[in-house]
Amino acid sequence: MNKSAIPALIFVIAILFFSKAGAQELFVATEPASNMAKNSIRLRLSNEAVLETDFKSRTSLGIMYGLNKSLTLNVNAFMADFYQRKQRINGYSFYGKYRFLNSDNVQKHFRGAVFAQYSTVKFPIIHDEINLAGENNGLQGGIVFTQLLHKLALSGSVSYTQSLDKFIPGHEMLHDNAHNSIAYTLSSGYLIFPREYTDYKQINTNVYLEFLGDSHTGSGRNFMDASPAIQFIFNSKIRLDFSKRVQLWGNMERRFKNLYQVRVEYNLFNVF
Amino acid sequence: MKALRYLVLFALIATVAPNAKAQFEKAEVWVSGMTCSMCQMATQKSLKTIDYIGSIEPNLKTNSFILTFKKGKEVDLDVIKKKIKDAGFSVSRLITTFNFNNRTSVTNNFVFTYAGSTYRFVNVGDKVLHGEVNLLLLSSGFVSTSDYKRYSAQNFDPSYKTGMSGKARILHVTLASN
Repeated sequence: MNKSAIPALIFVIAILFFSKAGAQELFVATEPASNMAKNSIRLRLSNEAVLETDFKSRTSLGIMYGLNKSLTLNVNAFMADFYQRKQRINGYSFYGKYRFLNSDNVQKHFRGAVFAQYSTVKFPIIHDEINLAGENNGLQGGIVFTQLLHKLALSGSVSYTQSLDKFIPGHEMLHDNAHNSIAYTLSSGYLIFPREYTDYKQINTNVYLEFLGDSHTGSGRNFMDASPAIQFIFNSKIRLDFSKRVQLWGNMERRFKNLYQVRVEYNLFNVF
Repeated sequence: MKALRYLVLFALIATVAPNAKAQFEKAEVWVSGMTCSMCQMATQKSLKTIDYIGSIEPNLKTNSFILTFKKGKEVDLDVIKKKIKDAGFSVSRLITTFNFNNRTSVTNNFVFTYAGSTYRFVNVGDKVLHGEVNLLLLSSGFVSTSDYKRYSAQNFDPSYKTGMSGKARILHVTLASN
């Protein structure tokens, strides 16, 4: 068995054993195959930080819009002080997701979607990792499936990323001549509170564990991250996420192997 | 013989035009695929944009809504289905209350028209309806996929699968067991 599958499997079995609550698919590190409701907007403010030598962070503001029941669009702006003294906007990303499969049933559903992302940054940071969340220019395309099975929400994706960074002389070595990568994710989540929904004002508490793997197609370099998260939802509109990203193993040259993330999200319905 | 049967049906459509006051009063709709209160909120907000709905009462325990319709407004049940789809979910069950102002004798394949749509009774037997009657929708898009397969196997008339009777929308209903 692939090394990467073991922790995921253990987690899945653990959930099946002790979960009495519902499943949840509002994943923190990945996007599910489910879409936004038509004509609704999601505003997201995220901050990811490293505590390596001193406190450095990247902030992103994202606006997601449900164009119709099948198509969701997103724009992100990134601002960071990782590589300069002050926080300044240094990149944007554009994302679209098309849901092509939808099978709803009582207490279970299965959804499939394809997605594409384009990212542009002012000062690309050339490492082995091609990071479209504010570090590199690139194009990504992928497919994601999300399954809700009674108490268990599972989501898996595979994507292909092509770097569009222009190589600066002297930096080629770090990329190891690999300009594209394949990423794969496995996400799992469940609802721990409330035990039973009664009204919109109840605070929801969800926990997640996600695995994010990445592998260069040419060089064979790879990494596997685990991302545990806790999430609170207030008034069925406001979402607050705390997550951590830790590298489990890998031999890729990356800028950060550990990150903390805080995110606030606000949902608006029937905006137009 | 079959031709005669359809002739009788068409005669019924023509003659059992409901009186002006007969109308849909409310509905309870169960939504499948919703897994969080945020999803239900999104669905409720989508339903809220329907002009003939007066009030919406959510039940988060059962993932359902009780919709009360405005008096005098024409009710198109397909719009409810569409708004739930727009929010990303599906209708798994819909029971609507129709007010039969006159005593109406129904039997299998009895039809009545309302706001341009035809409603056909199946699995009903011989009954006399009067006043508020709860009707369970059996048509595609108003039941879960497994229920749809089950009903399809019962070989209702061909319009069950197409949802159309000529150029008119047809919806299959049965009496809801209370």
